Amino acid sequence: MPPASGNKKKSSGRGDEKLFLTIVLALAAIAGLGSWFAAGALKRHDDARVIAPDESRRLENFSLIDSAGRRVTREDVRGKILAVSFLFTSCSLTCPEVSKRMAEIQSLTATDDDVRLLSLTVDPRTDTPPVLAKWGARFGADTNRWRLLTGDKAQLLWLVGTSFLATETNNPFNSMPGNFAGTERIAVVDKRGNVHAFFDGLRVGTPAAVAAEIEKLRGE
Amino acid sequence: MKTELLLCGLLLAVAGCKPAASTPPADPPPTKLILIPTTYIVRGIIQQIPPDLRHVTIKHEKIPGYMAAMTMDFSVRDTNALAGFAPGDEISCTLVVTADDDWIENLKRTGKIGGIAGSPGWHAVEAELSIGDTLPDYEFTSETGRTVKFSDFRGRAVAFTFFFTSCPLPEYCPRMNKNFSEAQKNLLADTNAPTNWQMLSISFDSAFDQPQILASYAGIYRGANVDRWLFAVASTNTLASLAPKVDLNFWRENGSISHNLRTVVLDGSGKISKQFDGNDWTPEQLADAIRAAAKIR
Repeated sequence: MPPASGNKKKSSGRGDEKLFLTIVLALAAIAGLGSWFAAGALKRHDDARVIAPDESRRLENFSLIDSAGRRVTREDVRGKILAVSFLFTSCSLTCPEVSKRMAEIQSLTATDDDVRLLSLTVDPRTDTPPVLAKWGARFGADTNRWRLLTGDKAQLLWLVGTSFLATETNNPFNSMPGNFAGTERIAVVDKRGNVHAFFDGLRVGTPAAVAAEIEKLRGE
Repeated sequence: MKTELLLCGLLLAVAGCKPAASTPPADPPPTKLILIPTTYIVRGIIQQIPPDLRHVTIKHEKIPGYMAAMTMDFSVRDTNALAGFAPGDEISCTLVVTADDDWIENLKRTGKIGGIAGSPGWHAVEAELSIGDTLPDYEFTSETGRTVKFSDFRGRAVAFTFFFTSCPLPEYCPRMNKNFSEAQKNLLADTNAPTNWQMLSISFDSAFDQPQILASYAGIYRGANVDRWLFAVASTNTLASLAPKVDLNFWRENGSISHNLRTVVLDGSGKISKQFDGNDWTPEQLADAIRAAAKIR
């Protein structure tokens, strides 16, 4: 992340410099406060509880491309327990937080060969394999266990909407394709491909809760 | 199904609908003819995909030389062949018939995407414009408080991007405006550069980004040269219509606005000439895209 750029201090050369400076400072303060507030609000410290799927959902078949340019289908993760998250790399607030949780889940399950992680982009035009590779590297993704997936937009949105997320209605200020609700969630899929539960990807307790849930699933 | 199909094939082969080429069979026709794999083009609509992914039910048109229009199951050899397909999809494929087996391959979507069409997000896929498409006209409120619209700049290349003034992270909105600033300098310093171009930075945040705030913020990046670069704010309704066309996503989240990055260059006639996705592009690339787009008035 580049440092807050120095060009902010450049004056406009207009007459009303005092007012201008005040507004610049106010804006800087708002931006600073905003990020502080956002960072504070984003981490939720209360219990990471299990969120049941809104309806019976299962992992549909898919054919996507991972960050290394490899074709990945459902066949490649058959019989594995999955932790699945959603992202787009231009997302400045929630997605990095959720990816941190995924990284923790990755290390908590590092020795479990029956566990894989998937992250699906909802912005495939931006998130090409090299862009996803950069994102993965930022969070220390082991790309053989944690596959960051992109591909055909229609298929990605269909997969997210059919297998995982509900649609948020009545929000005119949601122009995420499909108006998906709960993109900050991490889904746990059992070995038979059923979506077992969701966890809030912003809660600090989520990685441990996901690992515990995986352990429970393994016992079943 | 397989025996039916085979029988069907045999009958048609005997009837000479699809004779297997030059060498006339010496033995009784049916068995010999079918030894040569025959392929047919099948067009239809997927009705059902069973979970095993080894079959697909297709309501198909007449298969010339082979079968009348009907709904039936076809085998699939590669289980990945059905990935991404759903009931309702209009498809074409190749039907391969040999002596003892038949299957489909080369499955392709040809039209309406049925399953996906009904799914959330389909409108966003359908609405997306491509290079060469005309972007409909949209109105914004500019930093001077006046209405500004894309069509005000016909005859000029128009580069626009999206931001909001309280965007907290330097590599997102500020990066966009910084790149615009550098591209502006690049073009103004180049005596051979065209002069028919315009930049427009469009804010998501109609609740906060009032004209005075936009004007002050603009000064940070634009300096004193206000001729070629306007800052404006879009209403939520305008954004709702414009966003899917340029594959822009945004929503309010935790007291801020989350969004992806889209930068678009229109030519002088209002057609999309170039799009920059994300933040991994340079001011020089933008300046060059503006030079190219300005050639078309």
